[in-house]
Amino acid sequence: MTFSRDSYRTVVVGAGIVGLFTAYHLARAGGGPVLVVDRGFLSGGGSGRNGGGVRQQWETRGTVRLARESVEAYRRFGIEFGFNIWFRQTGYLFLAENESELARLRNVHAVVASEGLASHVLDAAGVARLVEGIAPGATVGGTYLRTDGTLYPFPVVWGVYEAARSLGVEVALGVEALGVEVRDGRVAGLITSKGPVATPTVVNAAGGWSGDFSRRSGLDVPNVATRHEILASEAMKPFLDPMVVRASDGLYFSQSMRGEVIGGLSLPHRPGTSRGPTSSPAFLIAMARALVGLLPRLGAVGVLRAWSGYYDDTPDGFPVVGEDPRLPGFVHGNGFGGHGFMLAPATSRRIAGAVLGQPTDLDPAQFSPSRFLAPASPSTPERLQLG
Amino acid sequence: MAEPDRPFSFRGRSMAARDGETLLAALSRDRLPLLRRSLQYHRPQGPFCGIGHCAGCLVRVNGRPNVRACRHELGPGDVISTENAWPSPDWDLLGAIGILAPRGVDSLHGLRRPAFATPLYQRLVRRLAGTGEPPTEEAARAIAAPALERAAEVVIVGGGDAGRAVATALAARGVRPLVLERTLRSTPIVGADFVPATTAVFLPPPSEAGDPRFTLLAFREPGQGMRVTARSVVLATGGYDSSLLFRGNDRPGVLSADAALSLTSDSRRPPFRRAVLVGGGARAAEVLERCGNDVEAVVAPGEIRPAVVGAANELAIPLYPRSLLLGVRGRRRVRSVQLKSRGGGASTTIGCDAVILAHRRVPHAQLFFQAGASMEWRSDPGAYAPKVRPDGVTSVPGLYAAGSVAGLAARDLAGHAQGIADAIGGNGSSNAPTFAPLLDERPNELLGYYRELLRTRGHGRWTACACVDVLVSEVEKAVRSGYRGIEVIKRYTSLGTGICQGRYCLPDALLVLSLLEDRPPFEVGYITQRPPVVPTPLAALASLPSPSAEVVP
Ligand SMILES: Cc1cc2nc3c(=O)[nH]c(=O)nc-3n(C[C@H](O)[C@H](O)[C@H](O)COP(=O)(O)OP(=O)(O)OC[C@H]3O[C@@H](n4cnc5c(N)ncnc54)[C@H](O)[C@@H]3O)c2cc1C
Ligand code: FES
Repeated sequence: MTFSRDSYRTVVVGAGIVGLFTAYHLARAGGGPVLVVDRGFLSGGGSGRNGGGVRQQWETRGTVRLARESVEAYRRFGIEFGFNIWFRQTGYLFLAENESELARLRNVHAVVASEGLASHVLDAAGVARLVEGIAPGATVGGTYLRTDGTLYPFPVVWGVYEAARSLGVEVALGVEALGVEVRDGRVAGLITSKGPVATPTVVNAAGGWSGDFSRRSGLDVPNVATRHEILASEAMKPFLDPMVVRASDGLYFSQSMRGEVIGGLSLPHRPGTSRGPTSSPAFLIAMARALVGLLPRLGAVGVLRAWSGYYDDTPDGFPVVGEDPRLPGFVHGNGFGGHGFMLAPATSRRIAGAVLGQPTDLDPAQFSPSRFLAPASPSTPERLQLG
Repeated sequence: MAEPDRPFSFRGRSMAARDGETLLAALSRDRLPLLRRSLQYHRPQGPFCGIGHCAGCLVRVNGRPNVRACRHELGPGDVISTENAWPSPDWDLLGAIGILAPRGVDSLHGLRRPAFATPLYQRLVRRLAGTGEPPTEEAARAIAAPALERAAEVVIVGGGDAGRAVATALAARGVRPLVLERTLRSTPIVGADFVPATTAVFLPPPSEAGDPRFTLLAFREPGQGMRVTARSVVLATGGYDSSLLFRGNDRPGVLSADAALSLTSDSRRPPFRRAVLVGGGARAAEVLERCGNDVEAVVAPGEIRPAVVGAANELAIPLYPRSLLLGVRGRRRVRSVQLKSRGGGASTTIGCDAVILAHRRVPHAQLFFQAGASMEWRSDPGAYAPKVRPDGVTSVPGLYAAGSVAGLAARDLAGHAQGIADAIGGNGSSNAPTFAPLLDERPNELLGYYRELLRTRGHGRWTACACVDVLVSEVEKAVRSGYRGIEVIKRYTSLGTGICQGRYCLPDALLVLSLLEDRPPFEVGYITQRPPVVPTPLAALASLPSPSAEVVP
């Protein structure tokens, strides 16, 4: 028997960090019974393939606030969820290669600082103090926020998975969601590879495949999946504290708790999920050049492994949170681009809130699904899609 | 034999090597050196594989960390030091961690309280982790070299017997193949371009439209990048000797048959005197032939084949067929092994200075995974290998498999090589054949062995993954907590994420998980093999030309 019941109050599609956190908040608020289905294994999506970066430096207040709340949640995570996630607040350092990039970062700093976060603008010497061995002339300066940091994503997934299950959430792995059943113009159930389940609410938390699932459910959405690659080096003794992000090409890297350099770079990938999460020579070469150019001594470090995953991109860079106005009972919790892990704790509470019909504090022009249905998006996009 | 006359410095002492000798060979005149401590618990660990795939011989050479002593040919005046052990790998104070926490340190649930102390834990743990100090800038400059670019009709990866046979067969048809061979020194092949000391690390799936179809990345020791384009690729990558689970299975002195054979030659006595040889098949016979004088006993999980029995009898070596290898004794080096005959027989202790594992040879199949070839489970030896037709054709057009990685027996090499050469010559653009979806459901030989062994006491303390220092008990705990399948167990325990990328832990982990999860090994799943095949210096990758395509597929 795949499911323990015939019907659920809510079915969540996707057992990634967003789906699990949402199910957890639903169960805590008494919104059960909740079923989470995933066609793969636990942590098989983006939540098991990311760089573990957590930052609050964003271009728009809406994102800064979600990130700040998430940082607080991750600080408490070890005590609340019983797993050590190695959340290390040793900062995010954004690098500018020239004055115009620095001017852009200064604007980010202004937004972040006005939200009460202690971000700093650094000159080249300040950067060199944080990044030992940086090539001379590689940067004119940057911004730095000490309370940003990195974490180890897997134990976050285990912690939320176990907490959700102990609250009665049912997680069915190896079950694919094929579409929703619609009756009287609203969601009546979910059709799965293991048969139908009745439910008045389906949450689309399918990560990079959320666009596919919405479209399979008859909803036209602008979410686009793009493959992003990442690599890890051999482990070394600690030499780098902050996550380093370069504004020009989206190069990002940090040194993990185990001592590996982990990072990626933005390349113009062809959209779509057909290719599978593979690696490419183009990425390895571009990434190696970028790293060695910035920190020449890394030339003598070996690349241990490379892998990739999907970003779930939206046109304006904001996630999509809330019920779809075209299909009552269909709730979006997707569109996180390359930053779903750092936004998941705070955003998932709002996704659960939308399921429960609670009022939201999110600006609908930025986060609601209906923003794409209006002729033109009135809000400023979130463009700091780096790292 | 030449006298050692190449000076180098090892941990501050002046030593000398022979011309062309690897660092590991130079340090292993009488016995294997102790070069490192394990990552978490600082247990002594020795060189295990001898072929550049494990974590047992990592040293710092001229300011470069994580250099494998078995892959480093000594240059004049090399300065070598050991890392991650204080004051030395022989006497490491941090070894106390392993003694104080025999069941391991649970960093997944532990080190959380009090919350205000987390930055402190983090600083401490970071300091303890990581194998070596980062490299110096001079070290990076010293290995940088202009990239090699080659275009070939056919590239053959692996210049062992199978690769050579295919190269020769192609040469006879007027095709000059390019052969990449990983060993540092080996004899060129007539009629082929032969590049030694070069490891093929990345073979993406062929481009459908492009001609040539394949682009392969490789690097030549110590850090020269290489990019090869080819119309056809023949993978003759062979196999390697797998590890085995028992108490003290990561103790210095436990080594693979690959290591025993690579450190022994006509002019060189092996680095042990009284070895216990594990295995009763063809590989064990090879070890007996080369190192038989220094073997004390032959132990096998199953039966011992007549060829091994004959060779052992000639040397008056006692045989222990159908035995459980319970464990080794000896704190910093193997001093004895403890056996028990299977099915509840008597136990025996044999004094020894090495344990040679020759019981299971696993195919080197990573490049097939990368290229997108259809793979299949082979119950013997209990591993995934490409689906192959007798003429070497795989499911990927233009990609061929030769020799033992294809499951082809050594005695038919010449015949198979002809077949592959015919297939390549006949029709380079052949369509991919379809393979019947046959499932090899025969039980692996070692499954019953491990079933028996897992009932013995104290098995939880065995090392499941030596690179990251994961204990069998941690795997069992993950399964008990409800996590299933190798992909999840890997992420939960970190097993298979170290420097050997799962080569030495996965074959056993699949069998053990199959027992713990009570389903056949092929349902436990497998870990997608991720490029590169071996750690590849960033300098080598950075020197390669950027692919011209604007959009990366
Ligand atoms: C290389 C890379 C680096 C990244 N780095 C960072 C970073 O540093 N910081 C950060 O915050 N974020 C980062 N991200 C982004 C982050 O990983 C994701 O935004 C986040 O994990 C998304 O979580 P999710 O739960 O929405 O999706 P996922 O974790 O992808 O989970 C979605 C799940 O849905 C399942 N699914 C999909 N379709 C179906 C269906 N039809 N039926 C059933 N199940 C289905 C999938 O199997 C999957 O398990 C990175 C992403 C990548 C790829
Ligand atoms: S002994 Fe050198 S890598 Fe294994």
